[in-house]
Amino acid sequence: MNEQGQFTLLVGDNPFHGISHLSQERSRARGQAIYDVESAAGLVATSLDNGADGFMFSVSETTLAILARLGERVGSKRPRLFAIVPYAYEYVRLATQVGMQGLARKFAKQIVFSGDVKSLLTGLKGVFYADLAALLEAYVRFEVSRIRSASRKKMILDSVFLHEVLTEMALALKLKWLFRSYVKFMIKSGITPGFETRNFAYLVRRFKEWDIDFADVLIATPLNRVGFQMNPSRSECEKALAEIPTPDVIAVSTMAAGYLTLPEAISYIQTLPNLRGLVAGVSKEQHARETFRLLREFLK
Amino acid sequence: MKIAIVGLGKMGLLHASILSTLPGVELVGLCDKSTLIRRFCREMFRGAKLCARLEELCSLDLGAVYVTTPIPSHFFITKAVYLKGIAQNVFVEKTLSSSYYESKQLCDLVERHGGTNMVGYMKRFGVTFAKARNLLNQETIGDITSFEAYAYSSDFQGVKRNPDVSANRGGVLKDLGAHTIDLALWYFGHLELVKDGVESIGDTGFKDDVQFRVRTLNGAEGRFDVSWSKNGYHMPEFGLLIRGTEGYIKVNDDEVNLQLNNGEHSAWYRHDLDDNVGFLLGSPEYYREDEHFIKAVLGSRCGWPDFDTASKVDSLIQELQVRVGLDE
Repeated sequence: MNEQGQFTLLVGDNPFHGISHLSQERSRARGQAIYDVESAAGLVATSLDNGADGFMFSVSETTLAILARLGERVGSKRPRLFAIVPYAYEYVRLATQVGMQGLARKFAKQIVFSGDVKSLLTGLKGVFYADLAALLEAYVRFEVSRIRSASRKKMILDSVFLHEVLTEMALALKLKWLFRSYVKFMIKSGITPGFETRNFAYLVRRFKEWDIDFADVLIATPLNRVGFQMNPSRSECEKALAEIPTPDVIAVSTMAAGYLTLPEAISYIQTLPNLRGLVAGVSKEQHARETFRLLREFLK
Repeated sequence: MKIAIVGLGKMGLLHASILSTLPGVELVGLCDKSTLIRRFCREMFRGAKLCARLEELCSLDLGAVYVTTPIPSHFFITKAVYLKGIAQNVFVEKTLSSSYYESKQLCDLVERHGGTNMVGYMKRFGVTFAKARNLLNQETIGDITSFEAYAYSSDFQGVKRNPDVSANRGGVLKDLGAHTIDLALWYFGHLELVKDGVESIGDTGFKDDVQFRVRTLNGAEGRFDVSWSKNGYHMPEFGLLIRGTEGYIKVNDDEVNLQLNNGEHSAWYRHDLDDNVGFLLGSPEYYREDEHFIKAVLGSRCGWPDFDTASKVDSLIQELQVRVGLDE
């Protein structure tokens, strides 16, 4: 729900990166047109015109360019932004090309040349004291400044989610202090801290154990009728969803990456408690219009 | 069971995380030669011993060791783990070593020392590849007549780089090709390199692309196409098209398609094949692989694939390298 108590509808960016969790082969076969920033910004704008409240995206050069282009088309609407950091696919690829230390060097250079003094100082503190929380803070500061610069005050940065790879690693290693320091830092910055996870039941169990207040955070997690990426099982995730005290969950992969139809996704989502909203990806103008019209009609 | 990980790159961190979620597993030791990496890992692995030298793991009473360093160091580290008595059960990320000669020595070593041993050919734990293997076992497409296998990624597409980076990853055949070679060996048994079977090797100076042909024991011919500079594969992808007398099977990481000559067609996605796991990080395959190894150690059973099975991949890759003087 948004501030008015309504269900939040978001347009997602997976199609703009050519990602399909159903079939990469089909995603490639769909062609390259969607990689074009102009078309992507057009699709987001059409979605916003037809009922979407905001845009959920991984922070990359592509999505920042889409934001910049979108800023020229939104008028006085001020759509809400839900960012995911880091853009893990790009960082994993870089780690493959230059190794973990090379990746760290490259990232440090980016921060230095960005001229973002606060990020630089926090980052230096992180390196000097080997303080991972400070490094994460420096990194998120850097990404937030990139988003704000691209969106030029024409959009509202609502939430920044930690990408599932970071969330899952921190969960697995039981890094309670990292979660707590991230939540504290983000709240201080006036942005809702978010966590993307494919281990929702596990995350809920840990957050309860660690006394992390669900009202302070947003959680993005797959929720769909076939249990796709709902680990360890659909029933465990549904149980965990029912147990959280406040509606803080954004449903992703509701169509199980294209395996289900939109009406199937909607009828399942309608049965779930504690949802704040959902994300849907669109790849064509007509698709964007129909998708958000239907979502608005049945979920708002 | 107490476990140590040697090598804290991306695979080491991934296994360390997954192992931390498995019941009965305690991560007590982490070894990496980089001071910087050890410094940052100290905060992530509070309570575990972080060290630069393998010998420092000796006192930890380890049930098993994971070797997740770059491929060129697998042999020396694995050998040292056995010879110094650091642990009796060993998991090595693929490929087992840099050459068949080294892998054979490791196989001899495990024969003397016993214990559970396993190599990280995680594609075997993928639900789509397992489904294709079941279809083959049921002889759904009759006798195999031919196959085509590919392993593609865009990791080095259009990238100017230091040759050391590719060498550390073992070259394109060991980094990417090894997975499909392992799958083909699992599906078809022994593979023989066809005379004059190496069709082409990339000419970029980095040996980014390799195509070669093999023959199975039953005489079916197979063709491999391996590249880590292919456009459009920002996630590495592996697949096979297997033709038989009754139809064909097309399988990759996402789906399996069965087309029979009588017109019948079936398709299965990950969604249809019970792909959920206890804890998902990366791909579900990694969790299943680690769970399998831990259960094998606890039950004193063989790992799968074990060193001996994995050495067959190294054998084929070495033969390829010798045949064309491809020194990766």
